[in-house]
Amino acid sequence: MQWAIHVAEPSEIKPGLTLRDVEALSDSPRLRPVVSLVANLICEYFGQVSFTRAVFGNEFCEHLIPDRSRLEQMLEAARRARMELTFLTPYVSDAGIEKLVPLFEMLGRDGASEVVFNDWGVLNLLKRDFPRITRVQGRLMNKSLRDPRVTGVYATSEAPTATLVSLRRSSLDSSSYTKLLSDLGITTVEIDNLPQGNDLGFTEDAMTANVCVPFGFISTSRICMAAGMHYSKREKFQPGAACHHECQTHLVEYGYTNSPFGNRDQKFYLKGNTYFYAHSEAMLRSLFEQARAGLVGRLTFQPRLPMTWRRENI
Amino acid sequence: MKILAPISSLEELEMLAESGAEEFYCGIVPREWMDRYTGAVWLNRRSPKGGSLESLSDLRHLVESAHARRIPVFITLNAPYYTAEQLAWVTELARKLDSEAGVDALIVTDINLLARLSELRLGAALHVSSVAATLNTEAIRFLLEFGPSRVILPRSLTISEIERITGACRERVEIEVFMLNDGCAFEEGFCSTTHHHSVGAFCTNLSEMDAEFEASRDRALSPRQQSRLRRNLSHYREWVWYVNGNGCGATRTGLPYGPCGLCAIPDFHRMGVASLKIVGREASPFKKMASVRMVRDIVDRVRSGATKLVAIERAKSLRGEPEHCESGFMCYYKVDEGR
Repeated sequence: MQWAIHVAEPSEIKPGLTLRDVEALSDSPRLRPVVSLVANLICEYFGQVSFTRAVFGNEFCEHLIPDRSRLEQMLEAARRARMELTFLTPYVSDAGIEKLVPLFEMLGRDGASEVVFNDWGVLNLLKRDFPRITRVQGRLMNKSLRDPRVTGVYATSEAPTATLVSLRRSSLDSSSYTKLLSDLGITTVEIDNLPQGNDLGFTEDAMTANVCVPFGFISTSRICMAAGMHYSKREKFQPGAACHHECQTHLVEYGYTNSPFGNRDQKFYLKGNTYFYAHSEAMLRSLFEQARAGLVGRLTFQPRLPMTWRRENI
Repeated sequence: MKILAPISSLEELEMLAESGAEEFYCGIVPREWMDRYTGAVWLNRRSPKGGSLESLSDLRHLVESAHARRIPVFITLNAPYYTAEQLAWVTELARKLDSEAGVDALIVTDINLLARLSELRLGAALHVSSVAATLNTEAIRFLLEFGPSRVILPRSLTISEIERITGACRERVEIEVFMLNDGCAFEEGFCSTTHHHSVGAFCTNLSEMDAEFEASRDRALSPRQQSRLRRNLSHYREWVWYVNGNGCGATRTGLPYGPCGLCAIPDFHRMGVASLKIVGREASPFKKMASVRMVRDIVDRVRSGATKLVAIERAKSLRGEPEHCESGFMCYYKVDEGR
């Protein structure tokens, strides 16, 4: 199994990274406990691991797509550290597709790069114009329900069996889908660690599963609350509206205390246009057991919510 | 440019057709699905307890009556995904919808189901649901490999984005856009939450939760920054109220509230958009009828050559309460009135 780190800065890509190095990248007092929990549990399950891949980019917002020079810096840093590089891409409008083309041209020249797509249009672009780039299906293309308000309830023994089985699976359960992916040149998929648990049976169909820890996404939108900050009220909350990366200045923590079920102490995190949940210790232990059993191809440690933008511009 | 109306029973058909509906869509959830998966796993994008027919015979009668009026009927099979077991079941249901009920199109989200149905070469056409999040021209080019005759664009696209997509694709595929009623605070195809009645929609649920702000990189937020963030959050929650059909409200004259694209009809007519979708299979018959009448009123004016400004003025007067139009929060699309 490969270990990867999600980076925000070229300086974070360096050889010999330790779990404590990665843990130290957390810059949020509210999120630091879960980042430390992951570091400790990785150490418990796998010992000191070696990070051989850097992951850069984001899956949720086309306004956070980096420019060429930023990507070039990342590629250069990865080369120096002898690490592989994965570039994450979000769902996009036509304008977003145009932003990605020069980046893919650069990655295509590199030859060893991998792109995670979260949009059929991005896949089409990669397939048609950049066949040398390795294509990975992103977690947004995996449609499993991941609503922490309710799905945790189905991970109990009282839940109806067929319902739980369905909620732990996705289209990947179907061999016709894994064949379709395979025909499209895709042999790796990214998935979230679900509150209700994951059925990774699809990995028997020659499909590799990558998982990020410790944050899963709940929902995302082209309409961004943070971007509304600098608009007059009537102009706020327009789809795809231009922004000044206001999302980089803060996060919002929501406390869910009135659940009709027993799970009344949940927290959800909003960063920019996307809501996230943090993995619980039980979820992490369950995932790491599956990883130890050989069902996971790569674990990516994300010490921050994966919504970062270059710092010097903020 | 057709008017696509939701329908959930034969009893609604005559009223909606007389009001101006030119296409119908509905859902079907046979009892066996509910028995196997309970209310937690939805066959289509509506709760099994609302908005869907239960039997093929009911649907067949509805389709026959609609066809007698030359109105096509489309069926939603638009869950975000189906497991292997469900896929086999839904594929068989699709065969029956085609051969026994005679529906005109199947509305599909899951690309795995789309590929399967494409191979079957059914008589029914295939429409790609808005839940497939087809946000760009490249995505439509990709999906065309699976033979859909129509793509429903997500409501989060802007007028200019829709124009660009329509210009590039309308010769090869019909484009359908949202016109009236429910909104979605999130990108529908990338929202992994449920609207299950036990918890409600995540977006409205968030408006009831305590929210705390944390500055990035271990900094502190000044009181002024806190105040600005709180004010923006308050505006956002107001916007979510509009997205949710103005709190599921109605005007003083009983007309439905909620997200609206009436002012964009002249633009869609010019672009060659094929169909205008009214949302709300689960809505009351009166709400459906009133919605169809509002859309038909503007469409008729545009078809007969009314200018854009005249159509927009009429649209605002139909909505009845200008303060909501003026808020800017009730519009699906930001229309350039001068163009």
